[in-house]
Amino acid sequence: MASSSAVTGEREASPGVSPISCRSVCAGYLGTEVLKDITFEITAPSVYVVLGPNGAGKTTLFRTLAGILVPSGGKVVIGGTEGDDQSARDRMHYLSHLDGLPEGLTVREALDFYARAQQATVTDIERVLDQLGLRDLSHRYPGQLSAGQRKRVSIARIFLQEREIYLLDEPTANLDPKVAKEIRALILELSHDKIVLYSSHNLYEAREIGRHVIVIKEGRLAVFDRIENLRASKFRLGVRLVNPPDSLDGWTKEGEYLVRELAGPQEVQGVLHELDVRGVRIREAREMDNPLEDIFD
Amino acid sequence: MVLVVGMVWSSILGVLTAIGSASGFAASFPLIVPIFGSMAAVGALTVFTSDRTKGVLEYLMAYGVSPRRLFANFLMAALAAISIVLVGAIGVSVGIYLAGGHTVSMSLLLLLVGYAIPMSYVSGAFATTVGMYWSALSSPREGIGSTIGLAPLFGVLPPVATLVLIGVFGATAGITTDEFLLVTGSALALIGVVVLYLLANLGHLLRRERLLSNS
Repeated sequence: MASSSAVTGEREASPGVSPISCRSVCAGYLGTEVLKDITFEITAPSVYVVLGPNGAGKTTLFRTLAGILVPSGGKVVIGGTEGDDQSARDRMHYLSHLDGLPEGLTVREALDFYARAQQATVTDIERVLDQLGLRDLSHRYPGQLSAGQRKRVSIARIFLQEREIYLLDEPTANLDPKVAKEIRALILELSHDKIVLYSSHNLYEAREIGRHVIVIKEGRLAVFDRIENLRASKFRLGVRLVNPPDSLDGWTKEGEYLVRELAGPQEVQGVLHELDVRGVRIREAREMDNPLEDIFD
Repeated sequence: MVLVVGMVWSSILGVLTAIGSASGFAASFPLIVPIFGSMAAVGALTVFTSDRTKGVLEYLMAYGVSPRRLFANFLMAALAAISIVLVGAIGVSVGIYLAGGHTVSMSLLLLLVGYAIPMSYVSGAFATTVGMYWSALSSPREGIGSTIGLAPLFGVLPPVATLVLIGVFGATAGITTDEFLLVTGSALALIGVVVLYLLANLGHLLRRERLLSNS
């Protein structure tokens, strides 16, 4: 874990990817500072999950990286050029928590509008309509779409054209689990050779998709680390049994699960073996707590 | 929708005056044209306010479109809308006026070319620019107190002020054609300078975050 000192993505820098460098960045709105002295550097393709409580500054960080907000202090450097430079913007896709669908345009027209802004082509629009399952909705107006459908259209714009960096502010908010899973799969595919910054309120989703975690607390960088390096303050193993007994020595009942606190994940194998020896048949075993939850304490 | 309403209403009023007396049409029609012309600008302002609220402006800024270019594009859209209303309203009304056996007098031509048309564009540009500032500086609201509710008043202000000025001159000493053109030309120039100043100094007068949605 790291505090506001300089921290760096751990994998080797990729030659095809523009690094993101935040150097003592301060930014906010109308003179009110939201981000305070944020310093980090991302050089390797991966999914970097940005976490933090409401109002911590996640959206402000995305807007500053995207060049929408001008830092009041420090600077953002994308691929060697300042963040508000056009060449830096041309390397990035930004997805806001807002849908950004112009009123009065159909889905296809909205995609055409954004395709022009990105210099994408009609072929790209056709591909994205199929890729995101939007073809049936292509003649509908935003007002005729559900919140989830609007989000899908909004996400579609970032697939119109490949870029090196993806700044995705809550991309799966309002999506049903099936579509959210499909979107996560697309984003994971992107992350093989792209830098993806991804904010989410869903800690389980963050753990599923993220390889690194960036935690913002009260506008300051609290954590920048690989997710597997994060350890929960306690490790609780839960098991669901085929024929659950009323009680089991050393275990407490929590809903369908019998739960036992361990020193760490290294003890799991031994404990499960012990149950097996006692003739207990296990249907499912899982870690009961998400280590990312501790970040919010 | 705003365009259709603007064209229909201005044409109805134009037709009503055109089928009346020739002097009534020549005196009143050019005076009402800028009001409807500037109201056509409300369409562009409605889109601006909606785009700001829905985050479209935020996306465009992320793609590198500067706030000044955003304002300029909306202003161009407003001027295009005004052109459509002007062509429709003047075409229909003057057409019916001519069909009624009247001829276009020099004073009518002067009022249309020297006042109605340029004032429509300038007051529309004023309404759009001030309206966009107003929209960016205020929280989006609905109703008469909102940007869209107030925009027609911004647009009506320049022609009304000009007419009042002309009226004051005319009431005291009468007004010649040259004086009329001088007052109108000065008013147009002054309003044009205000619009250009607001556009040129956008970076100083309006912070970028004002164009982001509050939601």
